[in-house]
Amino acid sequence: MLEKAKVSFFLASRSIVRGNRGITIFTVFVLTLIFVQLVLFSSMLAGVTLKFNELMVDFQTGNVVVEPTEEERYIESASALQKKIESLPQVVGTSARLKTTGNFRYKEKEMGGTVYGIDPADEIFVTGLEDAVISGEFLSRPDRGEIILGREVSGSFGALMESRSLGGVEVGDTVELTVSGKTREFRVKGIYTTRYFMADASAYLSRADMEEMLGIENRDFAQEIAVKTTAGTDEYETRNALLSLGVRENIRTWHEFAGILRLIENTLGLVRNIMNAIGLLIAFVIIFVVIYVNIVNKKRQIGVQKAIGIEQNVIVASFVLQAMLYAGTGIILGYAFMRFGLVPYTESNPVEIPLGAMSLRLDDAEAINRAFLLFLASIIGSVIPAYKLAQKDLLDLIWGK
Amino acid sequence: MGNEVRNKVKEEVKTEHEDKVKKEAKDEMKNEMKGEMKNEIKNEMKGEPEKKENGNKTEIEMKTTPGENSDIIIEGIDIVRTFKMGEVQVRALRGVNVKIRRGEFVAIMGPSGSGKTTLLNQLGLLDTPNSGRVIIDETDTSRMPDREKGKFRLHNLGYVFQDYALLPELDASENVYISLMMQGKTKEEYESAAAEILTAVGLGDRLHQLPSKMSGGQQQRVSIARALAHNPRVLFADEPCANLDSQTSKEVLDLFKKFNKEMGQTIVMVTHEDWHAAYADRVIRLKDGILE
Ligand SMILES: Nc1ncnc2c1ncn2[C@@H]1O[C@H](COP(=O)(O)OP(=O)(O)OP(=O)(O)O)[C@@H](O)[C@H]1O
Ligand SMILES: [Mg+2]
Repeated sequence: MLEKAKVSFFLASRSIVRGNRGITIFTVFVLTLIFVQLVLFSSMLAGVTLKFNELMVDFQTGNVVVEPTEEERYIESASALQKKIESLPQVVGTSARLKTTGNFRYKEKEMGGTVYGIDPADEIFVTGLEDAVISGEFLSRPDRGEIILGREVSGSFGALMESRSLGGVEVGDTVELTVSGKTREFRVKGIYTTRYFMADASAYLSRADMEEMLGIENRDFAQEIAVKTTAGTDEYETRNALLSLGVRENIRTWHEFAGILRLIENTLGLVRNIMNAIGLLIAFVIIFVVIYVNIVNKKRQIGVQKAIGIEQNVIVASFVLQAMLYAGTGIILGYAFMRFGLVPYTESNPVEIPLGAMSLRLDDAEAINRAFLLFLASIIGSVIPAYKLAQKDLLDLIWGK
Repeated sequence: MGNEVRNKVKEEVKTEHEDKVKKEAKDEMKNEMKGEMKNEIKNEMKGEPEKKENGNKTEIEMKTTPGENSDIIIEGIDIVRTFKMGEVQVRALRGVNVKIRRGEFVAIMGPSGSGKTTLLNQLGLLDTPNSGRVIIDETDTSRMPDREKGKFRLHNLGYVFQDYALLPELDASENVYISLMMQGKTKEEYESAAAEILTAVGLGDRLHQLPSKMSGGQQQRVSIARALAHNPRVLFADEPCANLDSQTSKEVLDLFKKFNKEMGQTIVMVTHEDWHAAYADRVIRLKDGILE
């Protein structure tokens, strides 16, 4: 058994060392490309997902969101709860928000969106909205009757859904806002974009204005308290810390808000799986063709090997070993290219996508999975032609029939 | 020179009728002698002895029975080999009976298409006859599965092809020792065996040269070394000199003769040339798939 493996390995190694360099290089190159193709889409998807998550945490949810319990509409004594939460060392800031859907109107155009009533001084510690303002200014504490619009509401500034928007509101313009039956006019103080269209289809006004529209003035109510923690803090630990502080409200980490992202991710995941399947099929076909051509050229050699008594399995194994070596080399080169080339490159030179700057994320477990599949494809792709040929009558092989 | 050899051989040749009882006793003796002469590998690999009844076949070649010290190493009985070429059936061998003695150097001759190669391939277990049997050293190979045949070839038979048929990716020494490797010999064993046999064929200084860097004669000598490295019971050669000039052919044939004389190597060689055949102890002539 061992000597047979030895002979297979011997034949394979000589074939690689002394065989056609061009074919070897070409095969390895193709396998490298296939491996890169197999992990590239996953890496892109992982990069996009990461970006989505970042945007959501940075501009919407913070790390953890405290919400009213099921039975309640509002968190009562919000500021007291805020103080309590802010006593935790890992908490950077909290923002108590009122949140509702509203209808915007500007000239002839109308659209719906989410409206937040915030305390600007608190909000800036939780989200990056202040820095996301691309025209005008962010709200400040005494501001009343002023509003900040996302670009999907205002329109222009590169809005993705321009036709749905108010079609080009500018700073200083007045828009009408209707919330729970009450309509009021607001002066647009700023326009922001997070590049995350969900967050950009919202508007922010002061909590006092919102209280007034909702008819809950000076009640210290909030519909959510977004909590920002220091970088690297685990969200579930934060939740546990809040629970042990005696917070009885609903505590959700940002992950739980990523539902729509998960939907997108799953959809893209399906696309990814299809692409992987196609990639593997292509890999299989290419390996098959390359090995087949390689083997057909060696018909006579196979015949001679059989004639002098080299076992068929040993001959087949020598070709499979060769293919495995090609695949292994391709995988290593492809991985190295991703890990030490493309991924770091996109990290220092992020790719501009509608969501913002994205870089690739290579997941090792995923890479191992793809490597395994490619390896499998190379084994099957070489076993079939090698076996088919080695099985032929040796005289036919020698005389090239 | 060739004629001299032939004449010498002819002098030794005696015609005698076979005495079966006597012969079997002799076989035993011979086998022991052989065992001492050849190395142990060979004895290990020897197939199960199988007693064969010869029947009353007309044995054409018996008219040139060599000296009393011989016993039968290969026996072909009623070999028929037919090839199908579309609708047409080509009857390459039409019932050939042949016996080759241990230590004999036999030449197969005949016009082109007479079935020489086909016969050699049957005797050398590279092909399977449609009917008839090939018995090598008392082993009936006719019912051997392909796998067994491969094993048998690996351990017991050696081949020299017209176009050398070396493996181009292996150097001289590797070409020679690949079958020893397959037999499970250690690195030291097969490397030294290859070096030894390559030295014996005059290529001691080219152990690590690739076939592509060698002349035809050199390649054919590597191929002879490969065929002999594992001390085969029989060496088969199909027109080994067809691609060589006469000087190189002579060198190759001298090598054959040397191994035949010094080591008692049994050789079956197909050739077209009378002066090649003159090296042989005996000539088998084929015509239209039957012995003349
Ligand atoms: N694989 C094959 N398929 C079909 N016909 C074959 C095959 N091998 C041999 N033949 C036919 O069998 C006959 C004998 O062929 P063989 O090769 O044994 O002749 P040969 O005596 O060796 O001839 P040459 O001197 O030309 O080598 C020829 O008619 C040949 O065409
Ligand atoms: Mg021939």
